[in-house]
Amino acid sequence: MMAKRSTLWLTIIGLLIGLLILMVLSISLGSAQISFTTVWRVILSHVPVMGEWIERDWPDSTATIVLDLRMPRILLASVVGAALALAGALYQGVLRNPLADPFILGVSSGASFGAAMTFVFGIQMVWIGQMTLPVVAFICGFATLMVVYSIARIGQKVRMETIILAGVVVQAFLGACLSLVMSLANEKLQTIVFWMMGSLTLTDWSYNAVVLPVIALTAIVAMMFTRELNMLGLGEEVAHHSGVSVERTRFILLILASLMTGAAVAVSGAIGFVGLVVPHMIRLIVGSDYRMILPLSIIGGALFLVGADTLARVSLAPRELPLGVITAFLGAPFFIYLLRQAKREYF
Amino acid sequence: MLSLQHVSKTVDEQTLVSDVSFDVEAGQCVGLIGPNGAGKSTLMKLISGMYDVSDGQVLLFGQNVKRWSHKKKAQRVSVLTQDGLAPYPMTVYDTVMMGRYPHLKFFQRESADDLNRVDHVLALTGLTDLKDQMLDTLSGGERQRVAIAKAMVQEPDLLLLDEPTSFLDIGYQTEVLNIVKAWQQRTGLTVLMVLHDLNLAAQYCDRLILINQGEIVKQGSSDDILTTETLEAVYRTTPQIVRHPIKDIPQILL
Repeated sequence: MMAKRSTLWLTIIGLLIGLLILMVLSISLGSAQISFTTVWRVILSHVPVMGEWIERDWPDSTATIVLDLRMPRILLASVVGAALALAGALYQGVLRNPLADPFILGVSSGASFGAAMTFVFGIQMVWIGQMTLPVVAFICGFATLMVVYSIARIGQKVRMETIILAGVVVQAFLGACLSLVMSLANEKLQTIVFWMMGSLTLTDWSYNAVVLPVIALTAIVAMMFTRELNMLGLGEEVAHHSGVSVERTRFILLILASLMTGAAVAVSGAIGFVGLVVPHMIRLIVGSDYRMILPLSIIGGALFLVGADTLARVSLAPRELPLGVITAFLGAPFFIYLLRQAKREYF
Repeated sequence: MLSLQHVSKTVDEQTLVSDVSFDVEAGQCVGLIGPNGAGKSTLMKLISGMYDVSDGQVLLFGQNVKRWSHKKKAQRVSVLTQDGLAPYPMTVYDTVMMGRYPHLKFFQRESADDLNRVDHVLALTGLTDLKDQMLDTLSGGERQRVAIAKAMVQEPDLLLLDEPTSFLDIGYQTEVLNIVKAWQQRTGLTVLMVLHDLNLAAQYCDRLILINQGEIVKQGSSDDILTTETLEAVYRTTPQIVRHPIKDIPQILL
């Protein structure tokens, strides 16, 4: 037990170092190649105290590319990846369904519909300016979850099979609404389609500033429920008799997962595969203990999406590929490989 | 310890349990018996709080526990259900440790004391060698033993068992009940259990309550209940009653 805990921490620290290296590497790659060490020095020169020792011998344009163009985007990729993977793990744990992903309860459909409406009608709220799109998307996503939840609720209880069905139905309905909006959209069609495929192209620091606190906070709260998730795994009744307040725990976790998903989708569109595949990969490697699955999903999701976004940027440069395509191309084969390797039922 | 007063349960105008009253004193082991569909499991769920009563009341420790939090209740009552633990890929040790959950505050870590209690219970239930095995690699009997260990770690005053032996062979059946019996003698635990096997019920319970069609037919010692006439009326078959040659209690032959 103690040994397990220290192994977990070592793994987490190792993976975080790996993530940091990958992020810096990703910053150095692109149409303007910047050396790995220069990236480090540009970033470190902004760290208090340490910054005074570093001689600023790079052109201003390099600093701009590193700090204002690539860094916010890569940071956002890691945050969105972490949020989607964690949300996926939570949905899978709460719904007890291996097919669950962050989009299963319609959060992304709602958000996409909201985003499409924003594009088509050119809605712009003065006081939040360019934040209108993510804010509308987020609100629509969350409202969708509330609708799904209230459809599935019978008296005080919500059955997990029912909520999945309700989610599927609402998702299909919103999909139809979205198609309708798109068919009427004419010249905005391309913008909507591009947004729906998921992209981090339009990122600047303000997106990070809005999304990071939401996701960090929800993730921290969610991490406090690992024990309850494990007990739900042993069966609803068992959890109930062990003192878990099953309905409340599920409700809180679904809300948290949906807040994360909504925030992530609002700034980056519906990036598929991360939330489905990353938690499964973690589960296949470390087993079904949520004390390990949750923290490792966070880091795994960040690693996965930073890697995928880097490939999306550089593989066919100067052309940029849709991020959703890369996540599927990377995720599917690796997942199939792991699935074939797994010797027993693992979910 | 446990008192049911005129408890009824109706679902969609169908009466599952009707006007059931009985008391279980501290330290007793009481068996609920009766044919399939008699309402035994419903009664257990009403007592454990999974279902709400339609009428009457259930008093635990002299109080109506409906307003108690799940945690507070789990500190004093352990429940073993028919289905037991799902074959989830979780180690025996971690599963048994979950029994400490009601005694821990939100997000509080297990203390050295908790670890000691778990080790002690693993030894008592003979699970020490299996503690690093995953639940899904165990047999049904071993998994039921883990469920009992988890309930034991919970350190309850009252244990509710809903057919704890139904899917087990005779070896595991007696093993499970012997563990419960030893636990009871050690701590003065109160036990209420649903049993299908009338011979086991006669051997392990101090008192039996026979239920049919949601009502109590008869309660008393095994000698009162296990008679050809009483059983014939309820089970629609005519069993022969013989004496157990060593334990001097009634046993049935079919």
